[in-house]
Amino acid sequence: MISVSGLCISIAARRIVDGLSFTLDGGELVALTGPNGAGKSTVLKALAGVTAAASGEIGISGVPASDYGAMARARQVAWLAQSRPVAWNLCVEDVVALGRFAESPAAYGRLGTGGRRAVDTALAKADAVHLVGRSFQALSGGEQARVHLARLLASPAPCLLLDEPCAALDIAHQLSLMETLAAEAATGRAILVVLHDLDLAARFCNRIIVLKDGRKVADDAPERALSADVLAHVFGVRRTGSGGLVRAG
Amino acid sequence: MSRLTLMLTGIAVVLFAVSALAGTAPLSLADCLSALAGQGGDAARVIVWEIRLPRAAAAFGVGVALGLAGAALQGLLQNPLAEPGVLGVSAFAALGAVIAIFFGLAGVSGLVVPLAAILGAGLATLVLVAATLRGASSVTLLLIGIGLSSFAGALVSLAMNLAPNPYSLADLVNWMMGSVANRSWADIVLAAPAWGIGTALVLLAGPGLRALSLGEDTAISLGADIRRTRLLVIGGTSLLAGASVATAGAIGFVGIVAPHLVRPFVRHDPQRLLVPSALLAGVILLAADILIRVLPFQQELKLGVAAALVGGPVFIWIAARLGRASA
Repeated sequence: MISVSGLCISIAARRIVDGLSFTLDGGELVALTGPNGAGKSTVLKALAGVTAAASGEIGISGVPASDYGAMARARQVAWLAQSRPVAWNLCVEDVVALGRFAESPAAYGRLGTGGRRAVDTALAKADAVHLVGRSFQALSGGEQARVHLARLLASPAPCLLLDEPCAALDIAHQLSLMETLAAEAATGRAILVVLHDLDLAARFCNRIIVLKDGRKVADDAPERALSADVLAHVFGVRRTGSGGLVRAG
Repeated sequence: MSRLTLMLTGIAVVLFAVSALAGTAPLSLADCLSALAGQGGDAARVIVWEIRLPRAAAAFGVGVALGLAGAALQGLLQNPLAEPGVLGVSAFAALGAVIAIFFGLAGVSGLVVPLAAILGAGLATLVLVAATLRGASSVTLLLIGIGLSSFAGALVSLAMNLAPNPYSLADLVNWMMGSVANRSWADIVLAAPAWGIGTALVLLAGPGLRALSLGEDTAISLGADIRRTRLLVIGGTSLLAGASVATAGAIGFVGIVAPHLVRPFVRHDPQRLLVPSALLAGVILLAADILIRVLPFQQELKLGVAAALVGGPVFIWIAARLGRASA
């Protein structure tokens, strides 16, 4: 679904991503993790077409990403940014309908029946049906996160990118979000999710990619990707006998 | 057409009829009505058709253009306080018009003044968008707008000082305060193409403005062509504000007040906001102009002054509420 090879990205003359290669296939739920400043968000932005790559190739469904127009690309890849401003007090279903912008740039009330059904289904998957009709800015942080998830799920794109979707969510909502993503991957979507919670990543994801200073350190099944060596050298932590993580050294 | 749009259109039609009846000339209701129907005395016909109705059309057209420009700029900059007047766009348009008039370029062609005003408006809009691209916050933008307004005001006075033609303080006041008194159909015909094209450009930007609600990066990832949206709004608002200033001088605040009032009725959707905001702003200026005509003052109040009298406090109220929300 997505193939990245030799991706390099610089921002303000600083190399943020350095020679990154990986693949992401349909049906996979893959975590992208690493310490702060490792370049995780920048990788996602490059895949979403928001940040330009300095060099390297991104392939989407076998076609170079640069061959896609903005609309065609949005039909392939949907992205949930780390910061999610909503400028106006839009109502919930209109925010979710924006997920289908590339299919039909209309508000919910003007979508066709197919578009409306996609929005309704996405709202149900994200457990946000009861929020329909409410104003976005009146929602709690957790409710807003669910609406954003629904917006992503309403997209026609087979590939979903999520940047720290669990931030500001309580533990129950984190688990339910990861369950939703796992179920979505099971339908054949390719999902790449930036996570800081290594235990959450290990529990739900097929694979974990670990970044440090813009380079890939590990890309493997969770237990192998998060080896004692990686934990110590990348994250500066170690596992205690009871399984918890503590600072190394 | 939504119910809101229909209702506003109806109110506008009624106000047009009322404006044919309102004025200082001593015409009876029957005189006005028969003149409106194209009958009755010549004097009454001229007063109704050549003085009152063009003036009403100018007030409505300027209002529509400023309301639309305000709603579009607010969507583009994601800022409910954006508006041609507040951001200095109107002041720059006035500067363009004043330069064209006072340096004798207006004689070349009737199109020079509107074009100069549109150019001035475009220049100020470009500065604002450049600031937005460099990450300017809402507050910074408003400060830049204040700077642009004062700067343009100073340049207008300077242009008048340097102008080879005689000038009067009244001219300066006319351009900076705004008025639609004594406008003719010729003025409307001159502004109409710019208003028409500007409206079309801004309406084309509608879907992009809705996508921009989620921030620029997300809008791009949704497939919206943000550069196109930005160009459409810059071009559209420059035409709308420029032609309005060329017609009536700089009239502030109506472009803020109208979208603010409409927003709850269109579910805060920046695209659906456009048309009703335009109509409401047209209705507000038309009503204000009628009020001005019947107020028993020695000298007629300027339309821009009336708009600021109502709009200024509303602006402060919105700003104060925004401050509370972000605190």
